Amino acid sequence: MKASVFAPVLALTIGVSSTLASAQTATQTVTFAVTAINQISATGSPSLTVTTATAGSQPTAATDASSTWAVTTNQTGAKISASIPTAMPTGLTLSVNLAAPSGATSAGLTPLGTVAVDLVSTITKVAQLGMTATYELTATAAAGVVAASTKVVTYTISGGT
Amino acid sequence: MKALLVGSALLVGGSGFARAQTLSVTGTPASMTISGAIAGSQPATLTNNSTTYTVSALPILPKKITAQINTNMPAGVILTVLLVPPSGATNAGRVALDNIARDVVSNVTNLLPQTKIIEYQLSATVSAGVISTSTRTVTFTLVNYP
Repeated sequence: MKASVFAPVLALTIGVSSTLASAQTATQTVTFAVTAINQISATGSPSLTVTTATAGSQPTAATDASSTWAVTTNQTGAKISASIPTAMPTGLTLSVNLAAPSGATSAGLTPLGTVAVDLVSTITKVAQLGMTATYELTATAAAGVVAASTKVVTYTISGGT
Repeated sequence: MKALLVGSALLVGGSGFARAQTLSVTGTPASMTISGAIAGSQPATLTNNSTTYTVSALPILPKKITAQINTNMPAGVILTVLLVPPSGATNAGRVALDNIARDVVSNVTNLLPQTKIIEYQLSATVSAGVISTSTRTVTFTLVNYP
């Protein structure tokens, strides 16, 4: 084969091989975001009945630790507050103690009223469930006999940044 | 003259070989915004499978598809991609994307183009915090396999 014919054939072959080996690409644009997320929940239906006393002392407080609560927040410094819609009968006090999630601080046993009170603070970027909610009902002798009643406790998560 | 004809045949055949290897994508996935969670659990994962890709390769020259993004995702945020494979190929399942090319489909040998679904999933932990709207460019590449 003459060199003058061979060279173009060789060039063509090299060109084809390069084409076969080349990579091909395709692109897509993905758009995403994460918004502020704050969620709390409470499970359980606590029941409290004051029934006894030690003679000479005020009636014995009743407690219920059968409820739990859960929280998810992706913000910093959130808090949990709680309130009841109407005040307790005279001489009765309903208090709640929320166990704090990791990194947060619980205010301990706190009386509930119609004005929201802070129960847990400095809640930061946490998702935790199964934390105990302990309720306590105290009554003075002056409260007398109180028929079975209910109060709805409203918990609110707020203040995160 | 015979050599010239052979060379021409190679050129025509080579062009055909190049066209037999194709990779393209169709559509742009809608923006994914993580905004909810069940109390006590991490934020909910989002899924988008509204886009597709089309691929073909020579049976004698198997290919694979790799995927990567231009910049890593923010800490605590994961973007995965899953490509439904064409006939005869296998996929790597959901692959977390970063700035390194990762195999997502292997042993592509279908001569005729096939169009398959692309699935994206976006997940975030609470540690990621709030993330303003951002974008990533996903690059799919068809390369020789193995």
